[in-house]
Amino acid sequence: MTTRQFFGTVFALESALAAFVFAVVAMLVCLAVVRRRAGARRRPSRRLEHTRPEAFYVAVLVAVAAFLVVYTARQNHDEHRAAAHGDPVEVTVTAFQWCWRFDYPQARKPLAVRADCRAGRRPTLVVPTGRPIRFKMASPDVIHSLWVPDLRYKRDIFPHHVNTVTLTVDREGRWIGRCGEFCGDRHHTMDFWLRAVSPAAYDKWLAQHAGAPAGGTPA
Amino acid sequence: MTTAQAPSGSKEVPAGNWLGWATSTDHKRIGLLTVATSLVLLLVMGVFALIMRGQLAQPELDLVLPHTYSQLFTLHGSGMIYLVITPFALGMGVYLVPLQIGAPAIAAPRTTLLGYWLYVCGAVLVLVSLAAANGSASSGWFSYPPLADSDFSPGVGPDLWIVGVVLSTTGMILMGWTVLWTALRKRTQGMTMLRMPVFTWSMVASCLMVIGSFPSLLAAMALLAAGRADPSVFHANAWNIGYQHLFWFYGHPVVYVMFFPYLGAVAEVLAVFSGRAFFGYKGTVLSLLVFAALSMSVWAHHMFATGQVANDYYSLTSISLLVPAGVEYFAMIGTVLGGRLVFRTPMLFALAFLPQFLIGGLTGIMVGTPVLDYHLTDSYFVVAHLHYVLFAGSAFGLFAAVYFWFPKATGVELGERLGRLHFVLLVIGTNLTFLPMFALGYEGMPRRVVSYAPFDGFSLLNLLASCGAAVLAAGMVVFVVNVLWTLRKRSLGRHVPAPPDPWGAGTLEWATSSPPPATNFTPEYPVPPVRGHAPLLTLREGQGEPDDRATLSGSRG
Ligand code: HEM
Ligand SMILES: [Cu+2]
Ligand SMILES: [Cu+2]
Repeated sequence: MTTRQFFGTVFALESALAAFVFAVVAMLVCLAVVRRRAGARRRPSRRLEHTRPEAFYVAVLVAVAAFLVVYTARQNHDEHRAAAHGDPVEVTVTAFQWCWRFDYPQARKPLAVRADCRAGRRPTLVVPTGRPIRFKMASPDVIHSLWVPDLRYKRDIFPHHVNTVTLTVDREGRWIGRCGEFCGDRHHTMDFWLRAVSPAAYDKWLAQHAGAPAGGTPA
Repeated sequence: MTTAQAPSGSKEVPAGNWLGWATSTDHKRIGLLTVATSLVLLLVMGVFALIMRGQLAQPELDLVLPHTYSQLFTLHGSGMIYLVITPFALGMGVYLVPLQIGAPAIAAPRTTLLGYWLYVCGAVLVLVSLAAANGSASSGWFSYPPLADSDFSPGVGPDLWIVGVVLSTTGMILMGWTVLWTALRKRTQGMTMLRMPVFTWSMVASCLMVIGSFPSLLAAMALLAAGRADPSVFHANAWNIGYQHLFWFYGHPVVYVMFFPYLGAVAEVLAVFSGRAFFGYKGTVLSLLVFAALSMSVWAHHMFATGQVANDYYSLTSISLLVPAGVEYFAMIGTVLGGRLVFRTPMLFALAFLPQFLIGGLTGIMVGTPVLDYHLTDSYFVVAHLHYVLFAGSAFGLFAAVYFWFPKATGVELGERLGRLHFVLLVIGTNLTFLPMFALGYEGMPRRVVSYAPFDGFSLLNLLASCGAAVLAAGMVVFVVNVLWTLRKRSLGRHVPAPPDPWGAGTLEWATSSPPPATNFTPEYPVPPVRGHAPLLTLREGQGEPDDRATLSGSRG
């Protein structure tokens, strides 16, 4: 499963639960408003506690909370395990004010993708489908965050610290990637493209662009 | 000016004398000053929000420069939290807690007064920082280093902002102490801990968190100040991530400080306008304390995406919060389900609080789930979530409280028709503004962006949100008009004076005159005997026959 699928499963479950709880509360409030309005000529109850149903209700709450904690923690662990399955492609990500640089240490000769994120010049991160991609990420200045909304995943990128994440992309396509942590006045322009191609096309791309002159922006 | 010596030894200064107001140690005056100051700041911060929503109404607008926009969201966010919602909550406590427990004064009134003035000085510094050469702080209300250090955010503006935040937070800590001390030590005879009104209990729980967690913000700000003196402090990851821990150890509990007092106010309003004592009192008190204790252990759920915290643990503590929160909902809904509801403006706000805040709470569970938070954090989903908590929740509770206690504090009721109009506009505006933001965040719009492109597909939802902001602003104008118009009527003497207990309420503050005398209770308005958590209700119910009781509650306007 991909991060997108893990997100989708858990999001659907929690949305359904939330919708149910919201509907129940809204219904009870409406019920009170209609049946208990002053015009309805009912006396207010003088009851101060109702311990039995309350205790039962607390037990239900505890059970729901326990289920959610255990279930979502398992999803979290599975998500990270699934991503790490297989022979990984390595990409070194450098996030800086205000753009990205991607290095491919597994290329035969040095290969770097870079751009300046001005006037729509976004770098394109090329990855193969079906293989785990291990991102080693650091920043030379402030905190940034690698976020590909379509993958439903982000991870912060710190200075003086290397964060590693492993992701898998299961279909070919091109998606926008963004900086997910406010990093200064041009934070909103700090985008890149993520392009996933077949493993064969990826190998070809790698061979073609390795050793490209520094400053080149292969895509 | 002439000053008369009151028997207690405290200085009595004629009302209307500004110096008297500014230096009075009467907790009611300090409380009113605090809430009035924070309401004025609410309008300022609201104007900042409107400018931001104007900028985002359409893609690629150039209403403000990116650097201005950064300052706007920093001041709006930090202002709302440090200078509006927290101070208002504590101001309510300063005003109401002594009255609710039958005390003649607050404990350590000079300390409370000092707290207020520190808060005011802090607010002034934060606003003044906008005039600095490079502008004010611009790295968001949590101002993570190294972005917020002097390498990346040069200028004195951010320094002034830090000092302002420290001063106002110190003020809040002082106020928190005196309110807590009052509740613990100054209760009248018969007022046991388990007879304190729900609102007072909510203040006790809040003040415990203020004392436990606010010093952590001071430490974070000190660390930031050190990094502004010498940016190499943040050349070690330990201090970058360390700052985040210090910050969120404050930053999460403050959310509950900005929420409990309003929940307490809503609980009182629901009970009064249901014509009964609050249902599920003990469970609620217990859940408030459990909540406060748990709140100190959830901070790092703001840091799931850093990849440097124990996700399982913080997810466990965060999701556990649904248990005490559920108990509180049980009590509030139980109260209205067994009531006889009267729909005056405070009640409308209190009833709307229930489903509106719930949206914030339920989406809180989502962002407390790591698998979801990896996508949702720092997106507009979080902006929607936090505004449902703080605006649809706290601010609705705030307005319920204002309409409810206004006659007690000023001796005159706010206009009912304008109140309803305010309410309707606020409900429409809140949902129109913040509901689309959930979808925006889900679709991938990051927070704190000054602009977006047409092909991002964010245009329509942003336009809706900005229209909602206009409706909200209209609602706020109605509120301001209502307050000014009511006060003007009073100063012309053309008002109907409010009786001690205009709503048929149950707690002690309604036993004394409106507004209360300097010593809160006098031989003319003595503290009634306390035999439960709604003493006035007990008194009325004990005196009359069942039928008289119905007349009594029916006579409410
Ligand atoms: C009691 C009322 C409110 C409170 C407590 C509040 C609080 C906050 C906070 C804490 C932030 C986050 C700032 C940051 O992350 O640095 C924020 C952001 C924002 N708020 Fe409010 N707010 C309130 C009312 C409003 C209203 C009425 C509007 C709309 C008219 C609004 C619009 C915004 C916008 C546009 C942002 C920027 C979001 C971003 O870029 O991250 N707020 N607010
Ligand atoms: Cu960035
Ligand atoms: Cu950024």
